[in-house]
Amino acid sequence: MKKYMGNKLAIFLFVVPALAVFLIFDFIPIIQVFAYSFTDWNGLTIPNFTGLKNYLELFGDRVFYTSNRNQLIFAVIITVYQMFFATVFAITISDKKMKGRKFLRVAYFIPVILSVTVVCQLWGAILSGEGLLNKLFEAFGSDFRQNWLGDRYKAIYVIAFVNAWQWMGYQFALIVAGIKSIPSDYYEAARIDGCSNVKAHMKITIPLLAETYKFCLIISLTGGIKAFTEMNILTGGGPNKSTFTLTYMMYNAAFKKSNYGYGLAAASIMVIECMLIMLVINFIFREKDQKKEEERSRRKRSA
Amino acid sequence: MKKKLVSAIACMTVAASTLVGCTGSSAPADTAAPAETQTETPAAETKTEETKTEETASGDKVTLSIYTQYADDDTKVPYDYAVEQLKEAYPNVELNLIVQAQDDGQTLKTLAATGQLPDIYQASTDLINTFRESNQIMVLNDVAQSTGFLDKLYDANKDLAYAEDGNIYAFPFSGQEYVLWYYNKALFEENGLEVPKTYDDLLNCIEVFKGKGITPLALFGQEGWNTAAAYDVIATRYATGGIKALDEGTASVTDEGYVEAAKMMEKLVAAGLYQEDATTTNYDQASQKFLSGEAAMFINGQWYIEDATKELGDNVDWMFYPAADEASYEAGKAAFSGGGSASGFAVNPDSENAALAAEVAEFITEKYCEAKVMYRHNPLVALDTGKEPDSEYPAMMKKLSDTLPTITSTTKFTWGLTNSTFNDAIQSESQGLVSGQFTADEFVENVADAQ
Repeated sequence: MKKYMGNKLAIFLFVVPALAVFLIFDFIPIIQVFAYSFTDWNGLTIPNFTGLKNYLELFGDRVFYTSNRNQLIFAVIITVYQMFFATVFAITISDKKMKGRKFLRVAYFIPVILSVTVVCQLWGAILSGEGLLNKLFEAFGSDFRQNWLGDRYKAIYVIAFVNAWQWMGYQFALIVAGIKSIPSDYYEAARIDGCSNVKAHMKITIPLLAETYKFCLIISLTGGIKAFTEMNILTGGGPNKSTFTLTYMMYNAAFKKSNYGYGLAAASIMVIECMLIMLVINFIFREKDQKKEEERSRRKRSA
Repeated sequence: MKKKLVSAIACMTVAASTLVGCTGSSAPADTAAPAETQTETPAAETKTEETKTEETASGDKVTLSIYTQYADDDTKVPYDYAVEQLKEAYPNVELNLIVQAQDDGQTLKTLAATGQLPDIYQASTDLINTFRESNQIMVLNDVAQSTGFLDKLYDANKDLAYAEDGNIYAFPFSGQEYVLWYYNKALFEENGLEVPKTYDDLLNCIEVFKGKGITPLALFGQEGWNTAAAYDVIATRYATGGIKALDEGTASVTDEGYVEAAKMMEKLVAAGLYQEDATTTNYDQASQKFLSGEAAMFINGQWYIEDATKELGDNVDWMFYPAADEASYEAGKAAFSGGGSASGFAVNPDSENAALAAEVAEFITEKYCEAKVMYRHNPLVALDTGKEPDSEYPAMMKKLSDTLPTITSTTKFTWGLTNSTFNDAIQSESQGLVSGQFTADEFVENVADAQ
């Protein structure tokens, strides 16, 4: 292995394919997005440089603020819901004494393998005006009736729930895998010391899953910011763009108004937001790593 | 040295195989876009599987790709008829159908951006304007002349063929079309109601129907054009130009008539004219509500006459739009919402068989018109086909035909609007009004910003 690591040609050849794919399919398109956001490009003709016009328009657009608010709500809801329930369910089924754990493990993951369209059709039928949910309230003699997907302010919460419900299983699988990698000795030692099950998970499982949580947090938050499909299918971004996100703004500007330049300005802001979130998450978790390192070196010195 | 050589070869093999893997996807990518559009009907799926034949010499089979709607009887019947007729008139031409996706032109624009436009495609006004700028739409003036298309065009539809620059870019098959306010006669009679002439009458109808648990008017507000039409049928009672005048900039939404229309719509929504979840209701759901008698009224184009008559028979009719008072109601009978647009079959100028495609596009347009007259009982087509329907016109169509000579003004459907920013705004803002969660003032302010 050392020989290969010392072989610069080998390193170069192994790195080149991945690097080329990254450059061609990720890096260059992102640069193009930023470049075209300063133009009046309509997707087909030669673009003209328009400076900051698109950005100035974007910052003056009420839908831009609605979109950012929606993204934030969406990201927070799916992150909290998915990480909380995924952790609870993963810890529950990791108990070998529990009956039906195999069934539950599959059941929690099933929504993940379904198509987003199928899931949205399913929830659309449940949440529509004459849908199952309102009918259930009616069946129980309640007057409570909601326009779940048509409410200007509440619809985004409902859409976020649909997304969280579907993708919780993904985080659940990651956390289950993480729990499996924790040696059982730790729990045995904790039990000998008189530690309860809950405390053992609080003190052992959750801290040792820090890296898994970091990954879950990144996919949840960036997934929230990039949200599009659910609102496209369930509400069409309505009523009156009240369930828009920046991705939806981009789609709307590009394909409904043939104004790619404006759409790409929205996309650029979205990319920046995603990058900022990544930086913040990395910063938070790096701080903890650094603290641990410091703690370790302090212990070594005192020993 | 030998080991180094082996390791270098191994690395190069890995790199080469990875890159080959990447480039290998180019062939299927050619078919990716059409495949994406095959979701509409099983029939369409089988059609897209037809293999493309290479043009070699004259007399050999030529396959032309065509991107058009193929979703319901109104679009399937004309297409199937045109294909049958094409076999006789052009035995060496086959059509490869790519079913049009309801995606705001996204698929077509993507195909255009990647140089993969179909030979013939159905283009709306917005697409025509976009592709004109990028020279991806063929000027059909000569073909229209040589094939006699212009001679067959009804006088009332002459304008529909020409774009703003005076050229013909698409062969329209639809003539002047109208937004009709359908109602269930039986439900009105059962509840002792007369067809509303004024908004006060309409408010009374709303109250009675709501009291009986009947939705007064089923709207499919998930589609922006339907909410825009719902606003337009009110706006035309106050300003005959309706949304067309707003689109062209000859009127402002801050004008008194448009503001009053927005306020009236707000009032009707508050009274419960539309179902509560109108903005998330699609066409199928709304139509089902109307056809099953759960809703008393429905707003759609005149193309719905056939389907409504089939289901409701004599129990369905359309009414003139209600107005503020009886005088306005009578005066407004001549002003309809809707109208024609320059939409139709366009041709890709970069097609290998562009000249043939243009001829075929004209032929198909003609056959579409024939099928619509003969089998869909819709005489409102762009061309004079000289054909008669296979059975009597439905009563509603007869009524419309009798009314046509008295119509003095029309507006536009959203797909005929030319200002895409306004188009986007009127669709979403009218949806906001329908939802009952946005005020008329917000509507006026936001539409004015987009004008």
